[in-house]
Amino acid sequence: MNQKRSKVIRQPLSNRFVHWTAAISIFMLIITGLGQMPLYGRYLGPNPPALLAWLQDYEVTLWLHYLFATVLIFILIYHIIFHALRKEFDIVPRKGDVKASYHLMKAMILKKEEPPSEKYLPEQRLAYAFFAVSLLLVVVTGIAKVYQNIAGVQPSNWFFVVMAAGHNIATVMIIMAIIGHLAAFIFKANRHMLPGMFTGKVDKEYVEERHSLWYEEMKKNQNKKTS
Amino acid sequence: MDRRNFLKRASAATAAAAVVTTQSKWAVASGGESNKQIGSIIDLTKCDGCEHKDTPLCVAACKTKNADRFPQPAGEIMDYWPRDHHEDWSNEQDRTDQLTPYNWTFVDTVSVEHNGESKKVHVPRRCMHCDDATCQKLCPFGVIYKSERGAVEIDEDFCMGGAKCRSSCPWDIPQRQAGVGIYKDLLPQLAGGGVMYKCDMCDDLLAIGERPACETSCPQDAITFGPLESIRQEARQRAEQMNGHVYGDMENGGTHTFYVSEVPYEKIDEAIKKEKAAQPENMPGRPHMEPEFDNLLDTAHGFTLAMAIAPFAGAAAAGITAYKTMKGDKNKEVIIDESEKE
Repeated sequence: MNQKRSKVIRQPLSNRFVHWTAAISIFMLIITGLGQMPLYGRYLGPNPPALLAWLQDYEVTLWLHYLFATVLIFILIYHIIFHALRKEFDIVPRKGDVKASYHLMKAMILKKEEPPSEKYLPEQRLAYAFFAVSLLLVVVTGIAKVYQNIAGVQPSNWFFVVMAAGHNIATVMIIMAIIGHLAAFIFKANRHMLPGMFTGKVDKEYVEERHSLWYEEMKKNQNKKTS
Repeated sequence: MDRRNFLKRASAATAAAAVVTTQSKWAVASGGESNKQIGSIIDLTKCDGCEHKDTPLCVAACKTKNADRFPQPAGEIMDYWPRDHHEDWSNEQDRTDQLTPYNWTFVDTVSVEHNGESKKVHVPRRCMHCDDATCQKLCPFGVIYKSERGAVEIDEDFCMGGAKCRSSCPWDIPQRQAGVGIYKDLLPQLAGGGVMYKCDMCDDLLAIGERPACETSCPQDAITFGPLESIRQEARQRAEQMNGHVYGDMENGGTHTFYVSEVPYEKIDEAIKKEKAAQPENMPGRPHMEPEFDNLLDTAHGFTLAMAIAPFAGAAAAGITAYKTMKGDKNKEVIIDESEKE
């Protein structure tokens, strides 16, 4: 008998492309951004490992920072426009998400039955909003910093202070968001979602049980098409 | 900043602002806001390095004028963990042979061969006050300011002492003193390294229409401050008349300091580098004089253009992909019943 488990396509190719492009660019932006702080001269010392020596060069890290910022801006705009055109707003927070997150986390910790969820859990929608605000702040202040760096551009002194502080605060927010994002997988229940970002598919059983509202909607749509 | 310093600076700033708005020499001379920029000429044909004095007079005057701003570290200074060193000049406060946190200008003296004879050249060195100051633009905390006169100033109260301004300055001008500054109140063992110090063009004096200490103390009239554009023109004229050269007009994308010399700067630079290489410590604080190099940020143009295009490219890619997937009904969440398939 065939043991293959039924699956659900949770993250189509476009979503995975956005997720991993954003992840890689944000990771590289943090690495090169820390180089601009400056940090590596002190912590890698005068004789860094050959493969890491580039981190101590402000010019190299600055241009790489620009490069990955370009990639990030590209993918963020792609993400917003793509889902807006397709009218897909599953991950946008809704009224009552804070309360719903509390109930869901409580049920998860106490190993009780969770309330039914849509495609995304309420805390996932809140986490998305936190990421969105942090990314918006980092991009806006980053663009301001790129503007100030253009030869001949001389903004006011407060502009430098505000944009630098905003960029640094947003970076800390993003690092916190990433830690929270990864910490979600401490809970076993959430780990079933992991394959979704690699293969696109998650177990049907998991979806039926945890994301029952979404499952019903998908079933309804599929039935509509076949009938 | 303690209360006394705060009050002192606040009252100085208020007084300066009052004078600037009423009778600043520079403002009156130039008229408009955009023309308040000040530049300076350092004429190497006039500077004799005050050879018969213990200390060049411009250096001594600078030290006296800024003495109350010099760092005063108290107690034992921590190393920059995990490194086993820190930058401490507090035991060498009298040193005048290079830039230090206690010496914001010095006179570099080199011998060069020019027109078949050996010639001593004395070069007063300090911050060039760049048009596009890389130190200001790249400071990670945005705490390097530019005054309306174009003086580049480090905010000593908020500087963390990471020394990025020194590394990004083509002449390595700002110098660091450990054991002072805001980093001591944050994570002194892990982050920050002190405060960076450098010449601020005596901006407080310029603001009230007075001339910087180095200019007024120079017995040879080798240093002249004035409205930027007239000073630039004056420097070019002087260089032309002596069949000489200007330094600082084009270097690093342009600065507010114009050296005038009969001797080509390549020769001066070569002599400085040669002497520097022979020194036991090849520490920053003795700037080069390499002519005609670009500002680091000039390289940004291509990257900036790419960044400006990125949102449009993202929108176009999203539009095309959304159209294609909607047309073919792709990119959908679907239930795949594998067991039914088999």
